[in-house]
Amino acid sequence: MQQIRFVLNDETVVIDSISPTTTLLDWLRETKRLTGTKEGCGEGDCGACTVLVGKVVDDRLVYRSVNACIRFVPSLSATHVVTIEHMAGPDGVLTPIQQALADLHGSQCGFCTPGIVMSLYALLMEKPTPSRAEIEIALQGNLCRCTGYESIFRAVEAAAAGMASATPDRLTLTRERIIATLNDLKPKRTIRIFHGQSRSIIPFNTADLADAYATEPNAVIVAGATDVGLWVTKQMRQLSPVIFINHLTELQTIDETADKVRLGAVVTYTQAQNVLAKNFPALGKLLIRIGGQQVRNMGTIGGNVANGSPIGDTPPALIALDATVTLRSRNGARSLAVEDYFIEYGKQAREDGEFVEALEIPKLADDEFYAIYKISKRRDEDISALCGAFKLKLDAAGNVASIRIAFGGMAGTPKRAAHTEAFLTGKPWNEATVSAARAELAKDYTPLSDWRASADYRMLAAQNLLTRLLIETSGEKASLERYAMLEAGE
Amino acid sequence: MSDRVSETVTMPMRFGSNSGQSVTRRDGIAKVTGRATYAADNHPDGMLYAVYVPATIARGRVTHLDTAAAKAHPGVVEVFTPKNRPPVVGDPDKKPFMFAIPIEVLQDDTVRYAMQPIALVIGETLEAATEGARLLKPQYEVEPARTGFDAEPAKRAAAGPFGRPAEVVHGDTEAGLSQAKQTLDVTYDTPAQYHNAMEPHAIVAKWDGDKLEIDTPNQAIVLSRGFYAFYFGIPADNILIRSPYLGGGFGSKAVPYSPLVLAIAAARKLDRPVKLVLTRAQMFGPVGHRGATRQRLRIGIDGEAQMTALDHVSTAIVDSFDSSFPEPAANASQGLYNASSLHSLMMVVHNDIGVPGAMRAPGEASGSAALECAIDEMAEKAGMDPLEFRLKNYADVEPGTGKPYSSKALRECYAEGAKRFGWAGRPLAPRQMVDDKGFLTGWGMGTALFGAPMFAAQARAVLRPDGTGLVETAAADMGQGAWTALAQIAADSLGLPLDKVEFRSGSSDLPDGGVAGGSGHTATAGGALHAAGTDAIRRLGELAAADPQSPLFGTGNQGFVARDGRLYAARDESRSEAYADIIARAGGQEIEGKGSAARPPEDAARHAMYSHGAVFAEVKIDPVLFQMRVTRLVGAFAAGRIINPKLAESQLMGGMIWGISFALHEEARFDKRTGRIMNTDLAGYHIPVNADVQGLEVITVHEDDPYVNPLGIKGVGEIGVTGTVGAIGNAIWHATGRRIRHFPIRIEDLLA
Repeated sequence: MQQIRFVLNDETVVIDSISPTTTLLDWLRETKRLTGTKEGCGEGDCGACTVLVGKVVDDRLVYRSVNACIRFVPSLSATHVVTIEHMAGPDGVLTPIQQALADLHGSQCGFCTPGIVMSLYALLMEKPTPSRAEIEIALQGNLCRCTGYESIFRAVEAAAAGMASATPDRLTLTRERIIATLNDLKPKRTIRIFHGQSRSIIPFNTADLADAYATEPNAVIVAGATDVGLWVTKQMRQLSPVIFINHLTELQTIDETADKVRLGAVVTYTQAQNVLAKNFPALGKLLIRIGGQQVRNMGTIGGNVANGSPIGDTPPALIALDATVTLRSRNGARSLAVEDYFIEYGKQAREDGEFVEALEIPKLADDEFYAIYKISKRRDEDISALCGAFKLKLDAAGNVASIRIAFGGMAGTPKRAAHTEAFLTGKPWNEATVSAARAELAKDYTPLSDWRASADYRMLAAQNLLTRLLIETSGEKASLERYAMLEAGE
Repeated sequence: MSDRVSETVTMPMRFGSNSGQSVTRRDGIAKVTGRATYAADNHPDGMLYAVYVPATIARGRVTHLDTAAAKAHPGVVEVFTPKNRPPVVGDPDKKPFMFAIPIEVLQDDTVRYAMQPIALVIGETLEAATEGARLLKPQYEVEPARTGFDAEPAKRAAAGPFGRPAEVVHGDTEAGLSQAKQTLDVTYDTPAQYHNAMEPHAIVAKWDGDKLEIDTPNQAIVLSRGFYAFYFGIPADNILIRSPYLGGGFGSKAVPYSPLVLAIAAARKLDRPVKLVLTRAQMFGPVGHRGATRQRLRIGIDGEAQMTALDHVSTAIVDSFDSSFPEPAANASQGLYNASSLHSLMMVVHNDIGVPGAMRAPGEASGSAALECAIDEMAEKAGMDPLEFRLKNYADVEPGTGKPYSSKALRECYAEGAKRFGWAGRPLAPRQMVDDKGFLTGWGMGTALFGAPMFAAQARAVLRPDGTGLVETAAADMGQGAWTALAQIAADSLGLPLDKVEFRSGSSDLPDGGVAGGSGHTATAGGALHAAGTDAIRRLGELAAADPQSPLFGTGNQGFVARDGRLYAARDESRSEAYADIIARAGGQEIEGKGSAARPPEDAARHAMYSHGAVFAEVKIDPVLFQMRVTRLVGAFAAGRIINPKLAESQLMGGMIWGISFALHEEARFDKRTGRIMNTDLAGYHIPVNADVQGLEVITVHEDDPYVNPLGIKGVGEIGVTGTVGAIGNAIWHATGRRIRHFPIRIEDLLA
């Protein structure tokens, strides 16, 4: 049976034919006429289109907020899609967050409101008494232009206070039934959906993926679609065939051993958060500045590497950690250093039929200091002007025993600072050395000017980040606290 | 001040118990459940989808469109180009009314700005129309785009927007400057900004013969009928515009724009309903924006720090074919500081851009940003605290005209705001404050000012036989809370609790509610509702007073008090009767009242009318990296009678956050080679996210205004933007010692 099947609110949906790039938002609004979900930007920035997608993971039903505007319908197989229309109970009883937003005027023009309800419902479902920082993180991907952030904030606090005494809402009451339904809907083999000239392939497992990709090396592999979605909604590109992989459990694994962390290719930023924050605190902090919560719930670190963007945030972080990427094809698997994966702008070391299977990140030794600095104009939900990652080890005498430096946004690919690393190695880690090393960075990079930042600014900022590393590793307490505040956005 | 005035003049109208209360939004539940219906949510039977093809050059001609390819795509119904454009009757290059702009509806192949519509593709599905649009692959004959202030020499503007003069002169500023003990001569730049309401412009148009129904977000519902009547050659009465909810407007949804007219024309031609929704990128072109300005401010002070001259020349970038809306920034210097000579002048530079228009606090936002920073610079030169300097130059009558203010509680705003912020003890010199974490800390302030206009509106109020009320006016709720605040006013005028009043609004078949703009909507539509309700009560009173069966018989000459559905004799409240009883005995017919509101010209001539405020800002800046945070903002505002404090606070906070955005975030960046905007999306066109907003506090200062209008209402929608931008710029100087004379202020400005 070549069908995509999922649950929309309380209805099981069966689709025989749909374009691989039909977005969930267009489908909801135009086909299903569920117009509570709004379109504000079509690229995952504003969050007006936020819906929940529930999946069974290890026998648990986990709901995540996602941007319907860049989520393709064929990626929804065996999920539960929940829209604003399904939030209030059949009797009209509102969820606590809806009631609080209405009572406390968290809504002005109201256009962003359905998306904000969904984001905050997702937050409170997971964290019934969220901290201020957690609320801010949950709202990163929802823009309000009126702007009612303060009232929205008060509403979350009020809703949280009433959570304990609230009557269970619809999603809580239907959990068991939905789990059973979703288990029934799980495909038993690879599904191919045709729509005119275009095709979607939903492989049953990784072996099927390898076969399909070997046969059709020009297919577009889509995991989270947080980048590919924009090729469609902004560049109007026609994609076919498209191979959807975000459901493949073999690629969703997170393995932690004594000396490394291994992430399957479709592990999302959200899923990776805990293990990365534990082992690489700086990387944990970087992750919460990538997109908004909805983007992190969809986007994958594997995809961030695979598509080779020069301004992806995780590649410099991974290169500084000396991570490796595993590429797999029907003929087997091979690993290479992440830095070697990036050849030049738009070109990666990936052969026909090869896809990213996993990333392996060596853990830090106790005496290794690791830092990542993302420079963007707006702190939250912004694309980097540049992003620098540093792994530093000093010897007993205070000299640089080893250092790995990688920058994004400074070249056509994420790139190591070979000259600077060589210059610093063996020298005393102090102001004089770092001052002299600033000139070395100019040998490593010739950044471009674009509207995000000028070449001069990028170079100056990169040099200053080296100084910041020195301050952070040897500076006084106040500086460290200051930087902590800047990172936390307090 | 205001209280002194109120002792001598009693308010002419009794006011009921609904106004002044923080009533919860009546549309809140609809909005949190997704049931509030916005224009694009409509879907009449047989509807087609329209997608417009935007020009990808800023100036030139379209030489080729691959219409054959587009038409061949399955599901494409029609491709409209200049060769087969759908008829538009009114001349699109004319301006039928003052606020209208020339539009591009495929009348020729000229491209006058990037994102201009150059073709319209109609499809059975959105997907088909979108793909058809892509297949057109336009080719052009490109002319060099004129971009930026250096594109041509600045010329004097023919006139300012809204029919205001391009130049205002009070006294001789050149003489004032030459006689001054100290002078300042500075130039500030502000960028082009785009409204970017969360709801993109949208329209669903449906024809039935020569009758037209449209669903579209609109800030001036009845006025806009006239525009569309002009374009389609039909009587305005044939047009029904529904706009119950606007997903934000900010000034961009008051007039018809090219894509909307095109969609209506296509619907007529194809005789099927058509929906068109702009993409986010298309919001950066045909639907208005705040024009960029370059403002030169010259100030002179005498030995007492009293201003001898305030000279404000603002050059605005305007489009190349209409030029009617030079961002009126120089106006901000009229009406605020007591300079003995005042001069403001608007200049223009033509660029190849869409026509600029009104955007939240048009003129005042950009003008206040520059003025308040210049005032701070002058205070610094005078060696004075900026608040003390402003008080020194406080105007007790409108400078230049000498008119008294209808009310002005600005001194109280300064005092209350300064107290709440903790302004006292602020060091005069910059770079004096470092917090315990090492952040450079700075405090700055700005004065907020915005006019208190009134427009014209009508309303109808009905008392029903069951004693409940119905009120009607075609008001526009773009988020400010008209559904709630206007209902509060209407309920008071009818002497009924809010839940006994049905309010119909947001549709053009109702009495004209005027424009939701200029911060004058509550005063205007509210005034009309109040008059209508008062009229209905008067008629009810006449019935009762003439009815021997009524306890109120014969009390007509003493007047009535209407409260909670009962009418009382004004001087003898033991005599009263329920509305329903009066109406029942009179035959059970509903009682209709009509009302209108407008400001008589003689009232406008007698007083200067403004809302005022004072904004105080704290910024913290990293001493090495120069990352900036606005850590505290306190705004104290005096804006006449506040109908709903909760709604007003939201409006003022929203305005102040727009101030943060202006100071630190938003700007359209133009590619000088092509004239195109580079950041036509919300990833690149930055507006504040939640985390950009920290401690924010709004205080409303009590103000009775017996002159501004019968209800004493000014407005709160726009004033929050003013004052705030300057306060933040001044705080950044105070933290760093750097005067950055353009907005937004960027990290690299402080690094360099």
